[in-house]
Amino acid sequence: MAVSPELVFSVLMGLLLLVVAGWLTRLEDWQAYTPVGGGGYGESTGHGHEEKPAGLTRWLTTVDHKDLGILYSLFGIVAFAWGGITAMLMRVELTTPGMDFLASFGGVGLYNALLTTHGITMLFLFAAPLIFGFANYMVPLLVDADDMAFPRINAIAFWILPFATILMWAGFFLPLVGIDIQAAKTSWTLYTPLSSTMQGTGVDVFLLGFHLSGFSTTMGAINFIATIVAERDSVSVPWSKLDIFSWTILTQGGLILFAFPILTAAVTMLLLDRNFGTMFFAGEGGGAMLWQHLFWFFGHPEVYILVLPPMGLVSLILPKFAGRKLFGFKFVVYSTLAIGILSFGVWAHHMFTTGMNPRLTASFMAISLAIGIPSAVKVFNWITTLWNGKLRMTAPMLFSVGFVQNFIIGGVTGVFLAAVPFDLVMQDTYYVVGHFHFIVFGAIGFALFAAMYYWFPIMTGRMYDRRLALWHFWLSIIGGNITFIAMLILGYGGMPRRYATYLPQFMTWHAVATVGAFIMTFGVVAFIWNIWQSAQYGKRVDSGDPWNLKQSDQFTNEWQWYEGKRQTMLADGGEEDADDAESNAAD
Amino acid sequence: MEEQPGLSEQYTRASPWPVFVALGLVLTEFGVFLGNYLLPVGVGGVLLLETSVVGILRESGYVDSLWPASLGVGLLVGGVGVALLTVGRFNRGVALAGAGGIAVLAAVGFFCYERGYL
Repeated sequence: MAVSPELVFSVLMGLLLLVVAGWLTRLEDWQAYTPVGGGGYGESTGHGHEEKPAGLTRWLTTVDHKDLGILYSLFGIVAFAWGGITAMLMRVELTTPGMDFLASFGGVGLYNALLTTHGITMLFLFAAPLIFGFANYMVPLLVDADDMAFPRINAIAFWILPFATILMWAGFFLPLVGIDIQAAKTSWTLYTPLSSTMQGTGVDVFLLGFHLSGFSTTMGAINFIATIVAERDSVSVPWSKLDIFSWTILTQGGLILFAFPILTAAVTMLLLDRNFGTMFFAGEGGGAMLWQHLFWFFGHPEVYILVLPPMGLVSLILPKFAGRKLFGFKFVVYSTLAIGILSFGVWAHHMFTTGMNPRLTASFMAISLAIGIPSAVKVFNWITTLWNGKLRMTAPMLFSVGFVQNFIIGGVTGVFLAAVPFDLVMQDTYYVVGHFHFIVFGAIGFALFAAMYYWFPIMTGRMYDRRLALWHFWLSIIGGNITFIAMLILGYGGMPRRYATYLPQFMTWHAVATVGAFIMTFGVVAFIWNIWQSAQYGKRVDSGDPWNLKQSDQFTNEWQWYEGKRQTMLADGGEEDADDAESNAAD
Repeated sequence: MEEQPGLSEQYTRASPWPVFVALGLVLTEFGVFLGNYLLPVGVGGVLLLETSVVGILRESGYVDSLWPASLGVGLLVGGVGVALLTVGRFNRGVALAGAGGIAVLAAVGFFCYERGYL
């Protein structure tokens, strides 16, 4: 008798529930619950309670914002590796015009799947979670809160992500074990009618994962807003003293709150169209344009959801190594808010070539050009902060300066694209690809690297390897500019985006872009090796102020917290000392 | 029997529930939406989600006893199941109505236990 899949899954689920029940029974005693009320935990251990269990259980059960910050960051780095591998597979294929490197692995279909997962992974699984990682760790410290406003929701938001990611990546691995679920090949914009009519459960599985990741982001955003508004210590951190990173996270939270429900609704409609016979995006219904409007109404604010916090990071880090306060702090905050508001009025600039009413295109062009003004205000403020400063070219500073350079190129090419006549020519070419890669990797990625190096001492108690960090920076800035400038040139030449094969005339610049991508990859390898090694064996930080911030009167809250923690550890003869003794003995 | 403190009693910054709320939510959406032979995954997911939601509400002190939370969650899930039945989605409707029914039954059990009837 053949065993039905229903029976197999029923047994497997039964086993899973038994394992969960067994683990919970070992860990928890429901009878012993003493209600502690909603909201944040205190640090108090007045009842003889410790904060966290040890080992793997700690990481599976933590609701501590710092632990979750580390988990988010690790998750972001893993996603970055996947996004990078997929990019390199595409770049190697694009070195020559024909289909050769990927031909025996799946050909054009695999290329399309790689393109889809690369875009989604880098935006939703690398950039956003890494931002949330730093925000989780630092925002409560910066605003003098005990923890996030809703620590358990914080943990739920994190744990949805890896499970959702498994669904989003499953299509690449399931065929290897004989299950016929193929990866989605819809491109990250999921344009209908392609995405609504493409056959295969793989697309649905991917969409479900994407849908769930939206829940996670929205839960996280609500938590950040509540933390900054309600958990902030209004005496030590009044609104007037709120740091720039928290301002950008607050603005980002607002954008997520308005943008992500639109995405969730649109993806739900798409799933219903694909599986339950609705016709939201069919020709007889709202049509393909409805998807584009919904997607980009979410999608353009998403750009600012991803770029505003990195702008906040750079605004926070640059002054520390320029030896002077951020120039025009208030205007940087105002420009953040202005960008946040304007970001909802620019979505149709992604659709200039769809045959929209010209009066509409003109208004969207005007707002898209206008958003360049607050962006330029920020650039002006960063440059004037550096002007006549006492610059210390540490790794975080180098990445911050690199951010400004890349953002200027990415921003100016974006201003060009906002102009309808230019966009009509450049739409769907590599010029657009070059433009947004300058922003997503050149700006967002660089700011996140800067933050990683800047806060590395707080997060690990150790210092990164400076030499490797410098290699990381120079390889990234050189490789990045080679690749993305080559893409801009390809776009000027008329090379269309999304294609796995191309005309031989584009080969030279594609080869240049691939060389640049390899240079970047070496930089990223240096980064990952550095983080991994230094977190375990790096030189221990010997003061609460490893960046000499007290000198320029910029010893901000998170570093004060860190100094306090070190002093408590020293007084208690805490963990760090014990580790030191061990490592000294080993030496 | 000697009482042992549970994890979230002993540690102020730990809770076993969030990871299972997340897993339950994902399995529910995955199994119930795709249906067919994956429906058992959905049913398992709903049960895990129901249990975890009740557990986390109780742990965080939003409810004082288990039965009202269990009843609420059961009625909610069961209600969705009944709604699906009315629009002709038989398998999914039965799955959710059944899973909701189990939570309602659990609520009755918790009620009897807490009132000393068991």
